Amino acid sequence: MIQFESVTKTYGSGEDAVHALSGIDLTVETGEIFGVIGFSGAGKSSLIRCVNLLERPTEGRILIHQKDLTTLSKKQIRETRKDIGMIFQHFNLLNSKTVFHNVAMPLLLSNLKRSVVTKRVTDLLAFVGLEDKAEQYPDQLSGGQKQRVGIARALATNPSVLLCDEATSALDPETTQSILELLRRINQEYNITILIITHEMTVIREICDKVAVLENGVVQEQGSVFDVFTNPQHATSKKFVKSIMNDQLPESILNEIKEKEHHQIYRIQYTGSSTGQPLLSRISREFDLDLNVLYGNITELQGIPYGNLIVEFIGDRAQIQQALLSIQQQNIAVKDVINHAS
Amino acid sequence: MLVSTDQITEALWETISMVGFSLLFSTLIGFPLGILLVVTRKGHLLENAPFFNVLNGIINVFRSVPFIILMVAIIPVTRFIVGTSIGTAAAIVPLVFYAGPYIARLIENSLLEVDKGVVEAAEAMGATPGQIIFRFLVPEALSSLVLALTIATVGLIGASAMAGAVGGGGLGDLAITYGYQRFDTTTMYITVGILIIMVQGLQSTGNLLSKKIRRS
Repeated sequence: MIQFESVTKTYGSGEDAVHALSGIDLTVETGEIFGVIGFSGAGKSSLIRCVNLLERPTEGRILIHQKDLTTLSKKQIRETRKDIGMIFQHFNLLNSKTVFHNVAMPLLLSNLKRSVVTKRVTDLLAFVGLEDKAEQYPDQLSGGQKQRVGIARALATNPSVLLCDEATSALDPETTQSILELLRRINQEYNITILIITHEMTVIREICDKVAVLENGVVQEQGSVFDVFTNPQHATSKKFVKSIMNDQLPESILNEIKEKEHHQIYRIQYTGSSTGQPLLSRISREFDLDLNVLYGNITELQGIPYGNLIVEFIGDRAQIQQALLSIQQQNIAVKDVINHAS
Repeated sequence: MLVSTDQITEALWETISMVGFSLLFSTLIGFPLGILLVVTRKGHLLENAPFFNVLNGIINVFRSVPFIILMVAIIPVTRFIVGTSIGTAAAIVPLVFYAGPYIARLIENSLLEVDKGVVEAAEAMGATPGQIIFRFLVPEALSSLVLALTIATVGLIGASAMAGAVGGGGLGDLAITYGYQRFDTTTMYITVGILIIMVQGLQSTGNLLSKKIRRS
């Protein structure tokens, strides 16, 4: 478990002071994949570096498995870091060493026996799918392969926590997927708690259980990925959700429909089992309405199907109101698109 | 020609031993100083601003004094260390004072080229400052360090030519006393020719070694 307790990080002092983090309170439960998303300059980098004290919080406490890191001696911090793996955007591998040696490095620092090191590194390379690359050098590998080496290296000391610092931001979409799958496997097979910082909403959607939205060093919103995606509260969260749920109607279409008297547009959001029902055709028959689907999308968040429709209702105003009530009775969210442009 | 082949051979050996010994000692001094210049700077492993500023200043002072002046200025130190202020051994002392700070700067530069991310990764895996220096920084900079030492060696060959001023001997001395002062053009050509070959050979070897370490 990772806990941030009113963590503040300030660089510089006086007028030049930069407040990278202001009063961060976060809890990452054991075994969870927790994502922190924010635009550049939001303070993500400082936040993740506070966990292993690469950056020391100016105020507040960092607890890992209930142990306050900020009170530890340098030696104790070094020992604790062996329980916290970290991977980086630019991999940070040793270019002068082979893949094998890179992965072995954390073990060699602890002066473990050669045979133990060889066994462990061989296993790790097999786990990340690079058993045939042991004797190659990082500059002979692709970006995705380099990140796999980084992951193997981070896992060498059997950590209980893995920190991912924009781990997929330098990779193409396909490679990103394969790295995210690997991270999920690590989380499931070794029950390692993973904290990810990213600016890519796809990363959050693909593997995170929980998400916190960071802006100007403050957590604007946090919750389960499902809740934040289906019902974002803060403006920044909405922006991020929009970035991958491209569900905005073009202005021209909206304006055209606005001018027609018997036309209304509603967003219908349904989840789980209700995705399987023929909702629209029933409504259309029952209330004598014409329905025109302007946008439709169904996706899966944390394994739960989530549908998002934008529908034009054409017909009598009173009938439309009745239809909306009927939909809402099935616990399906309906929002007026024209009146609250969301 | 006013000099014999034996004289040239002897001068060659004097140059080689002057350069060799002064390279050895100045590396022994310059290498740790170069590392200290990197790790004590702001934001680095063992940040220590007063120490960095003093060391940085001292190195600049030595680097500012022209070698010929330095050689004369430190005669008392030379006499204290080797017991005499004249001869090949006596020339090594000022050469070390000259090349040590120079090497420290070159090493500093090479180590600064290492990606900061590597240091961060090392810290994140719980490496001690010593481990970070010797298992991460130095190996990553090795190819560049070899080139730095090559540059220092060539610089030392140049400086050793001036060692004639304290009776240090060597090829430079021969070129000045015979080639220049006695107008012996042949000796001049021969000594300068040997020096050119030495420098070319060293630089090529250095480049080759550095390339081999870099594997490209």
